[in-house]
Parts: sequence; structure tokens; C-alpha cells
Amino acid sequence: MFGAFRASPVSASGLLWKVPWRLSAPRKARQRQRLRDVDEVIETVRQSGVQCESLTRALALPKEYEMPAKDKYTVFNRRSKGYRKGIHKVPKWTRLTLRENPLGF
Amino acid sequence: MASMILPRRLSALQTRASLVRSMATTSATPGSSSAGASSSSAAPSTLTGESEPLTHFKITLRRSAIGLPDRYKATLESLGIWRRMQTVFMPHSPEAAGKILRVKELVEVQNVPASLVRTKAEQRQDRKAPRGYAVVDRMLS
Repeated sequence: MFGAFRASPVSASGLLWKVPWRLSAPRKARQRQRLRDVDEVIETVRQSGVQCESLTRALALPKEYEMPAKDKYTVFNRRSKGYRKGIHKVPKWTRLTLRENPLGF
Repeated sequence: MASMILPRRLSALQTRASLVRSMATTSATPGSSSAGASSSSAAPSTLTGESEPLTHFKITLRRSAIGLPDRYKATLESLGIWRRMQTVFMPHSPEAAGKILRVKELVEVQNVPASLVRTKAEQRQDRKAPRGYAVVDRMLS
């Protein structure tokens, strides 16, 4: 399974990982900083004057200051209650672009 | 009212981001320390005061692609990056821009003029500390 522990039933005193359902304040701050870093990369490419379709798509993404907190710290999930789950539960979430969610969720 | 607040927040965030950028520069080229510290948002008027056209991307890998799909690894390989913190220079082109944007979460980019472009050997040379002496004469041979 994942991590250093092998999965075993909790009832048989197996090992249990605890993952908080929400991000802590410092973790949120780091997430905002990562979003700003990506904004800077896109801005640098835009200032180079090069034109390409991936830049058009990247500029259509919302910037960190335009994003509501819900989009910064949660992500759409069809199976969750409320159709949202913590963004930290997405594997490799610190290295993926997860800014946009389906409209209305 | 919200639109009045946003521009002030934007400038504060940009300032903080440019501070982070100036602290995070890796290339220790002596001549380019100030150019490296210049934020991307101030690219046309660099701190060195030069009016050279910015013709190259200076790309540094900050986060690895371990555990990510092969397309990210292949993009980094096509950029010429093999390890984390490696710096690579690429001239401005739509192909280079597309590659950077594909790995935009992993990479740090700056626009630099052609005079600051360094090969791998030149970057290594720039990292070396100057010797505290100079050889004036040799007794032998």
C-alpha cells in the first residue's frame, strides 16, 4: 500500500494513518505561495512575447488572488458529501494544476 | 468596493512574490546576480539598468517529476534538464514556451538577455571561488 506501513485491519490493532480532513493554516499558506509561483511562471512566459496555444490556456486559468478559498483548498469529487474533498487528498497535489472545478460545484 | 481593494492586494502580493524570487535565485554568476534578482514582473527594466532585449528563458527545475506521468519526465528531458536545481537556457520560441507551461508547477523561469546565457561548463566556472593568490613566476621548468 502507501507509505512505510502495510495495511491491516484496525480492529486487529493494525496500523492507522490519520489524515486531517482539512488543511492547517501554514499548509494553506504554502499552497497559496505555490499558486503564486505558478502565476509568476505564466507571467514570465507571457512577458517573453511568445505566442502559443498553451499560453492562451494558461492565461485563462484564474490567478491566486482571483480564486475563492474553496478552489484553493478543496477539489471537486463526485463521491464526496458536498461534492468536494480536501485538495491534499489528491496524489501529487503540490505538483499538479488543480485550479478549475466543474461549474456550480 | 471590491475592485478598489483588489489592486492594492495585487501590488502587495507581487512585491512579496518578487522578494521570494530574489531569495530563490540559484545561478551564482557574478555579473548576473542583480539580473537574477530582478523579478519577472520588472523584466523590461532590469535592475542592472541594461536595455538589452530579453531573448532567453532561464529555466531551473525546483520540483522533481518523480511519481508524475511520463509526459512530464519527457518534457523535462526535452528541455535538457536531468536533475533538480539544474539551470538551462533556451531561446524564446513557442516550443520552449509550451514545454515550460507543461511543467509550470515544477519549474522556475526568468527572462534573461543573451549576454547572461551560460553553458554548463560556464555555470560551473562561475560557481568556483576565486583563488586567493596569483601565480607570478615559476621556479622550475
